[in-house]
Amino acid sequence: MLGMGTGILLAIFGAALAVLLAGIGSAISVGRVGQAAAGVVSEDPDKFGSVLILQALPGTQGIYGLLVGFLILQRTGLIGGAPAALSLEQGLAFFFAGLPIAIGGMVSAFAQGKTAISGVHLVAKRPEESGKAIIFAVMVETYAVLALLMSILMLFGIQV
Amino acid sequence: MSHNEYIYAVGRIRSMETRLLDTGKIDRMAEAPDAAEALKVLGETEYAAHLADVGSANDYEQILTAERRRVYQELREMLPKPDLINLFALQFDYHNLKVLLKAHHLKEKRDELLEAELGTIPPEELVVAVTAGDFSQLPPRMAEAAEKVMAQFDPQLVDLWLDQALYEDLAAEAKRFHSPFIENYFAYLRDLTNIKTFLRVKRLQRSPQFLATALLPPGELDLVELLSLEAPLEELVERLSETRYAEVVSEGVLNYQQTETLTRYEKLADDFMLNFIKEAKHYIMGPEPVAAYLLAKENELKMIRIIMVGKINQLPVGAIRERLRDVYV
Repeated sequence: MLGMGTGILLAIFGAALAVLLAGIGSAISVGRVGQAAAGVVSEDPDKFGSVLILQALPGTQGIYGLLVGFLILQRTGLIGGAPAALSLEQGLAFFFAGLPIAIGGMVSAFAQGKTAISGVHLVAKRPEESGKAIIFAVMVETYAVLALLMSILMLFGIQV
Repeated sequence: MSHNEYIYAVGRIRSMETRLLDTGKIDRMAEAPDAAEALKVLGETEYAAHLADVGSANDYEQILTAERRRVYQELREMLPKPDLINLFALQFDYHNLKVLLKAHHLKEKRDELLEAELGTIPPEELVVAVTAGDFSQLPPRMAEAAEKVMAQFDPQLVDLWLDQALYEDLAAEAKRFHSPFIENYFAYLRDLTNIKTFLRVKRLQRSPQFLATALLPPGELDLVELLSLEAPLEELVERLSETRYAEVVSEGVLNYQQTETLTRYEKLADDFMLNFIKEAKHYIMGPEPVAAYLLAKENELKMIRIIMVGKINQLPVGAIRERLRDVYV
């Protein structure tokens, strides 16, 4: 792998950020919702099902980040073992394509985590409203999906 | 402690809140034909476990003591650090110290008045300190106040001095949580207590110097600066009409003028504080919901006490209702 150009390094950096930042957001948020969920379940074990869905929701951003990282590696030939000779501009383009899901994913994971914690509390108070609690948290998902969409559109727009 | 460390506890608190007594249960207790029937309502609640140990309705205090101990212990166990619960338990240390200092002065033994298992200092240690007259092992403010009481015992001033030390401790300790909610809670409580002290001192026609020694450290209101003792009560209401306490003071003082009792004022002040702690329902993490639950529980214990005292003394339902506080849930 020695002798790689700056272009391909920038593309790798973009892939790393997409997985890292979105993953950090998801990891912290799933962890926090899990703590709140454990609190509720310790008082009322029957609520495990609905709080588990809420805990899983902020985990999607990490998956989206992985998907974008994977696509960058695939588009630049790193997965096939034959990295393309990218120009500096092409490398930067891949780097920028990773940013929407990296930053959008991380921020939306934190926001969704907070909504999901509120949802866990709602389930604790009114178990019959767990569907609504899930919908509130799913609303935040929109912005993670938009970030993912933009990252993918950019990725496939770059000429290699 | 970082707010993240309260996430688990707040989840549990939200579940536990569903088991607080709601208006329906409180109403049923208030409307029960007698004390025993009122106590039966508690059988459907989380108090049920304590009911079995109680022979007659007159022993309702045992239930309240057992429930309070259970709540403090449960909250201490669910938090990684007990410091938040210790903040609210500080009042029991001061209570015990008051009991022991007074008993020591009267050369009596009143250990049945001590609150065990709640405070941060075991009562036995306080007994040793008071008996030996050596308070060096106690926290500084507590030690200072106790030494003051030992040097110059005045039954009127024991409570005042120790309450002042307690509220100074509370204000200082509350800062550690970096929570305006917790700091404001104690500040508002001091202000409302000071207004009450002001009314009492005025009624007893004591000197302004006495007033200054009787007041707790001011929260948002400096009453000494705001008002002279000679001023009519209307001026007090007028001066406080722009503050957050306007409603409590206008209705409470009006009622005080008519009835000469502070019962209504105390109810309004409690409702004001309860209304304030309801803010904690909007927090998803942090110490606030835990503190609010503890305070809501104290409010609930107080309401059960009001109902049981009323029932045992056969007060009419209306008179009991008048004294009842708002509920948290």
